[in-house]
Amino acid sequence: MHPLVVQYRAVVVKEVRQTVRDKRVLVLLTLVPLIQLFVLGFAVNFDVRHVPTAVVDRDGTVESREYARTLLAGDTLDLKAEAHDEQTAEALVERGEASVALVFPQDFQEDVLRGSGARVQALVDGSDPVRSGVAADAVARHAAQRVDRLIQEDARARGETRPRPAVELVPRVLYNPELTTAVYVVPGIVAMLLLIVTTIIMAMGLARERETGTLEQLQVTPLKPVILMAGKVTPFVLIGLVDVGLALGVGAWVFGVPLRGNPALVALATLLYVLCTLGVGLLIATLSRTQQQAFVGGFLFMLPAVLLSGVLTSVRAMPDWLAWVTYLNPIRYYVEVLRGSLLKSAGLGDLWLQVVLLGVFGTAVMTVAARRFHKTTA
Amino acid sequence: MSTAPEMDISLEQVRRSFGATRALRGVSLAVGRGEVYGLVGPDGAGKTTAIRLMAGLLRPDEGRVRMLGEDPAHPRTRVREGLGLVPQRNTLYGDLSVDENLHFFARLFGLSREDFTARRERLLDITRLGRFTGRRADALSGGMYKKLALACALLHRPRVLLLDEPTNGVDPVSRRELWELLYTLVHEGMTLVVSTPYMDEAARCHRVGLLYAGELIAEGGPRELARQHGVAASNFEAVFLALVERHTGGRAA
Repeated sequence: MHPLVVQYRAVVVKEVRQTVRDKRVLVLLTLVPLIQLFVLGFAVNFDVRHVPTAVVDRDGTVESREYARTLLAGDTLDLKAEAHDEQTAEALVERGEASVALVFPQDFQEDVLRGSGARVQALVDGSDPVRSGVAADAVARHAAQRVDRLIQEDARARGETRPRPAVELVPRVLYNPELTTAVYVVPGIVAMLLLIVTTIIMAMGLARERETGTLEQLQVTPLKPVILMAGKVTPFVLIGLVDVGLALGVGAWVFGVPLRGNPALVALATLLYVLCTLGVGLLIATLSRTQQQAFVGGFLFMLPAVLLSGVLTSVRAMPDWLAWVTYLNPIRYYVEVLRGSLLKSAGLGDLWLQVVLLGVFGTAVMTVAARRFHKTTA
Repeated sequence: MSTAPEMDISLEQVRRSFGATRALRGVSLAVGRGEVYGLVGPDGAGKTTAIRLMAGLLRPDEGRVRMLGEDPAHPRTRVREGLGLVPQRNTLYGDLSVDENLHFFARLFGLSREDFTARRERLLDITRLGRFTGRRADALSGGMYKKLALACALLHRPRVLLLDEPTNGVDPVSRRELWELLYTLVHEGMTLVVSTPYMDEAARCHRVGLLYAGELIAEGGPRELARQHGVAASNFEAVFLALVERHTGGRAA
């Protein structure tokens, strides 16, 4: 066997022994990501249901009661309280007891019957934009449907045999028909957890070697820095692949994330992505003298990296100049591959660019890290 | 000082600073093959810097370092195959056992399985670590840890062994055992550089270099230096203090 292969194997065996022996690291590498996925999968939820609603019915007629009943019939808005006046309703919203207050004016039924344009006022708590947006949308949609029904009834009353067809929007949601947040978010969480685990462990592992002096001991052996680096990275690449497999299993089992894509494509993208994250970890380690510095460095990198990736927020919602920054973020491409492959069963033909870019980033980061590592250890 | 062909190590007018701290100020010395050279001096004298320069872990700011005829800090140097280092700090893998540490370093130095088996047996024998092969390195006593570090550094039969304060924090019995072990190595033809703050250990060396505040203030055989100052070689502390006083004009006394 070639001496370099012997050295590489020795470093891999040493890393595996140290990792397996350190129960805390082992738990951090395997169990913690799964627990976090489980918790975050439930916690990160953009589904808006059961919004507490207050109703102020100053009209108190059949029409106003029917309108309120049908509006509250779905699971978007829930009747929380009936108030006598607008001020009481506003107070409920202010105290957070209601997120929406519907105010029916005194002449609501009369205006409806007269066809002069009845108004329902909806007071929406804007402190939670997502929730208030969905609630306002539900109120507006219901109003449109109600208007449409009234037009049809009016036409029938006037003896029109063929009521005028109303414009009907029939949305059909592809890939995630229930619009479940978890299905969208879980692949992002997988990418995020992989980033946290591999980057921090790698950065701290190498910083520990420097801090405890073992790196210096290695420097007086014929071990080449690149072999040391390859040997240190290998176990974590394998752990990363296992982590993704476990996380996707939990995602499918607990959150119903579909696993439609080609597992080989997911594995390839994971491999390249882990090279990126480990490369960043190595780079941070070369800039750190202590484990504490490595930890802080890893943390400072991860926060903007996650926020500028499209994992939790849509890249389209960002300002243009910031959206451009996301093109330099490998997390973005990995999440695109995961979502594309798992949810839409997209293949390499559709996702080749993302895979190539992951490869380019992985190679670039690893090369820079290797050069810096060589410079600091040779 | 010229580098004679039989010299394994040479430092020529070497200067090295760490920020504003001048660790070595133009030190020149040479260590011949099979010699036990003691770098003696108090804490902060520059001993560790000198050892690290010899090992290629540091580059000099000025001057030249040669180890086995090569620049030890050159990236493509082959010096490491003939060099062993026992650093001052505990730099083995504490979470690996004695045997696992030995095995790991043997693989890095490219020892064959058969060679390792024979070498392991011999080193465990001379270091008396045979009963502790399964024990984690961080569970060893100070003396045993130093012996393990020595065993790891000797696996590949280096021509030169650098020891940075090997007896620091070691009990007197282990200290004596360690020195006996070092003499065994010298008999096998190894060149040794030992740094120590203990003046009594200077007497055990063939030659000593007295370092003070980054300068080599005297060099020679311990008996010769003692004779020059009219004291017994066993009272090397008196020699050192006299030399420091002469060097500083009494300011450090």
